Amino acid sequence: MDAAVIARNRFGLGARPGELDRDQPPARDWLLEQVQAGLSPTPPNMATLPDSRAAAAKFEDWALARARERRAGKSGAEADAAEQFRKSFQQDLLAEIGARADQQVRTETPFLERLVLFWSNHFALSADKPQVTGLVGPFEREVIRPRLLGSFADLLIAAEQHPAMLRFLDNANSFGPGSEFVRDPPRRLRRLASNNGQPLKLGLNENLAREILELHTLGVNGGYTQADVVELAKGISGWTVQTRLLRGGDAVGPHGFVWFAEAHEPGDRELLGRRYEAGGREQGEAMLRELARHPATARFLATKLARHFVADQPPASLVARLEQRYRASGGELGAVYRALIESPEAWQPEPRKLKRPEEFLVSALRATGLPAPREGKAWVASLSLLGQAPMRPGSPAGWPDEASAWIGPDSLWKRMQIAEQISEKLPARTEPLALARAALGPWLQADTIEAMQRAESTAQAVAILLSSPEFQWR
Amino acid sequence: MTALPLNRRQLLGALGASGLLLAWHGLGLAASDSPRRLMVVLLRGGMDGLAAVPAYAEPGFAALRGALDTGAPGGEQTSLKLDGSFGLHPALRHCAAAYQAGELAVVHAVAPPYHGRSHFEAQDCLENGSDRPHASQDGWLNRSLSALPGSEGLAIASALPLMLRGPAPAETWSPSPLPEASGDLAQRVSRLYERDARLGPAFRRAADSQGLAMGRSEGRPRNRLPESIRQAASLMRGRDGLRLVMVEDGGWDTHARQGGAQGALAGKLGKLDEALATAKTALGPLWPQTVIVVATEFGRTVRVNGSGGTDHGTGGVMLLSGGAVRGGKVHADWPGLGPSALLDGRDLRPTTDSRAVFKGLLLAHLGLAESVLAERVFPNSRDIRPLEGLVHS
Repeated sequence: MDAAVIARNRFGLGARPGELDRDQPPARDWLLEQVQAGLSPTPPNMATLPDSRAAAAKFEDWALARARERRAGKSGAEADAAEQFRKSFQQDLLAEIGARADQQVRTETPFLERLVLFWSNHFALSADKPQVTGLVGPFEREVIRPRLLGSFADLLIAAEQHPAMLRFLDNANSFGPGSEFVRDPPRRLRRLASNNGQPLKLGLNENLAREILELHTLGVNGGYTQADVVELAKGISGWTVQTRLLRGGDAVGPHGFVWFAEAHEPGDRELLGRRYEAGGREQGEAMLRELARHPATARFLATKLARHFVADQPPASLVARLEQRYRASGGELGAVYRALIESPEAWQPEPRKLKRPEEFLVSALRATGLPAPREGKAWVASLSLLGQAPMRPGSPAGWPDEASAWIGPDSLWKRMQIAEQISEKLPARTEPLALARAALGPWLQADTIEAMQRAESTAQAVAILLSSPEFQWR
Repeated sequence: MTALPLNRRQLLGALGASGLLLAWHGLGLAASDSPRRLMVVLLRGGMDGLAAVPAYAEPGFAALRGALDTGAPGGEQTSLKLDGSFGLHPALRHCAAAYQAGELAVVHAVAPPYHGRSHFEAQDCLENGSDRPHASQDGWLNRSLSALPGSEGLAIASALPLMLRGPAPAETWSPSPLPEASGDLAQRVSRLYERDARLGPAFRRAADSQGLAMGRSEGRPRNRLPESIRQAASLMRGRDGLRLVMVEDGGWDTHARQGGAQGALAGKLGKLDEALATAKTALGPLWPQTVIVVATEFGRTVRVNGSGGTDHGTGGVMLLSGGAVRGGKVHADWPGLGPSALLDGRDLRPTTDSRAVFKGLLLAHLGLAESVLAERVFPNSRDIRPLEGLVHS
């Protein structure tokens, strides 16, 4: 029972009524089976959401509408058209968030859904940036979900080559200083130069390269220099997307990644003391594969995984084991998850992680058997109140995984308010203590039981359960 | 909005007397004993600096601004005079009076060092305190806190803004649109938290803060600035050690139908004006110890666009308000608005780095060392000299 409650909470999204009691495989096997089986392809509720090509096309239409609006003398129809597009991006985003919430609340493979959240936060995008508002959702479905259990190198390359990332961290506008485009810009790019009266500076943009090193692979203390940032930026120059002003190139892959040889910096590169021969897009891919193999990356990812699942300050022995398994397996993520599940440190009885806002909200609905709200809007409102608006971490670093960074008096208070809001949706016949035992098993404390028994109403008893300290920890 | 005494009573019911004594103790704090405070108000979206502080004496100003122009001072509903060059938007009535009273100063043609006109990047740059977006994962306000031992930071927001993220203790508070916890739920829950060493103190503090700032927000989000500032002020008064507070507001991205003396932006400026007036009342005895700095990520295009608005620009305006401000002055190394003076032919050219203003305040108002400012708070900023003469020493 202890192992089951740990598995469902620490590794999952909370227990639904009956899940702890049911005659189930032992807790470790339940997790290992999820890793074995993998995520089902596209959940039906996500099948109708737009893919990144549709989203990018819509963005281009919007850019065109906005350009027209600028050229038009008076405000009016054009301004309204651009506004319509903006609204429609927001609607797509809300539909995405709603479908995702529904998936989290109903899933039979909650460990894998947690991993989706983990990797989406690792390769964080923020819908704040208009160019990616419509792409954040497709990124998660096209990059993260299909590659949860494969090699990290494949995940890394897919993430950096997705239009969402290329736009979010500006590689779509990065041009090798010695590239053909910079020496002799095509007419369309020159027209961009006169757009809006701004001179266009065609040149290298280091943003994505820097974040790859700092946030996606080696980590901030991973031992790279500014020269490495520039070399990587040159290596991945020419990795871009198609826009109204930049047509042509070789379309690579199904999601809108385009290789422009004319924007790529020619020549050999040297990254972290290793040489990469001049070449096409494979040059940057070889650099990423090497970064994925780097010991600092193994260490960085092992630490992040252990911190996410086990403790803000994870046990060194656990980090070392995950790191070792990462290196021994050549960066196979499934092997690393198995090492995590098989590590005794991960099963310490005392919960040391506070649920993040999303985990709290999902687990509260799972515990009470309520569905996710039909409208993504309500979900966004609740999570924004709790301090982590979905798909808007506001920074490429994603949300911090140490509770001290985001749990404060105010967010605790709001958890109580949201707990009460949820409790009021329950039918009158609800038996609060049965729900409590089904959700928390042996973690349920005597004083919480007593407070629930003394509650003035069924709803208040449930609000106490969802507000209780033991419901905040996992 | 419920009156304070009612919430005190609710709090009594919710907590019993023990937490309460702690919560209200701070209110009696004598102004002279209390350390100086800084409130940063971040207007997200890019406030139109030339609408807020028009350079009315500039040749051709009215023509450049078209429908946005609020006219030279002196007329009915026209700009309010600051000096022979600059005025204030007619909606900033309280600010104009504060300027005359020496409690408000303006910094003009100011911008963070990033000039790329993206909200997202410009806000990041302004908040992280370096010379470019994304160069730091924590913010300069948090690093300032680290240099002020025993101090805490607070943002009136539901997620900690980048400016306050970092290792120093900072938390958030925001009004909740949800109903206040009904009956005695808070009391029942707070008893359970007593056994939790990590969450117990936080929960107790939450109850205290709810009482101080009052939980329920009313009005639409766009009208919340005065309320946020009032709540910030009451939390500052109520809690020892709370020295750096941040308030944010959105809706300043006026691409279309911006309006002149009246209209959308006039409404926003009126709320800002009301907010700054509210701060003085709400801070009470702390007012002489306080500076409120109002900043935005960039100014906007000098010319009106085809939709009766303005697009993303560069140089903009900061306002300094507070009893500690040496007011009645417009700080500007004024670049002019002639065709060759404009940045890229469209924006007010920034001549002051916003870091110089922040550094000037942190140095003279809060006493941070110049070397700390140049190395830790604003990394590699030795060349950006702190602006002098912003506050009473």
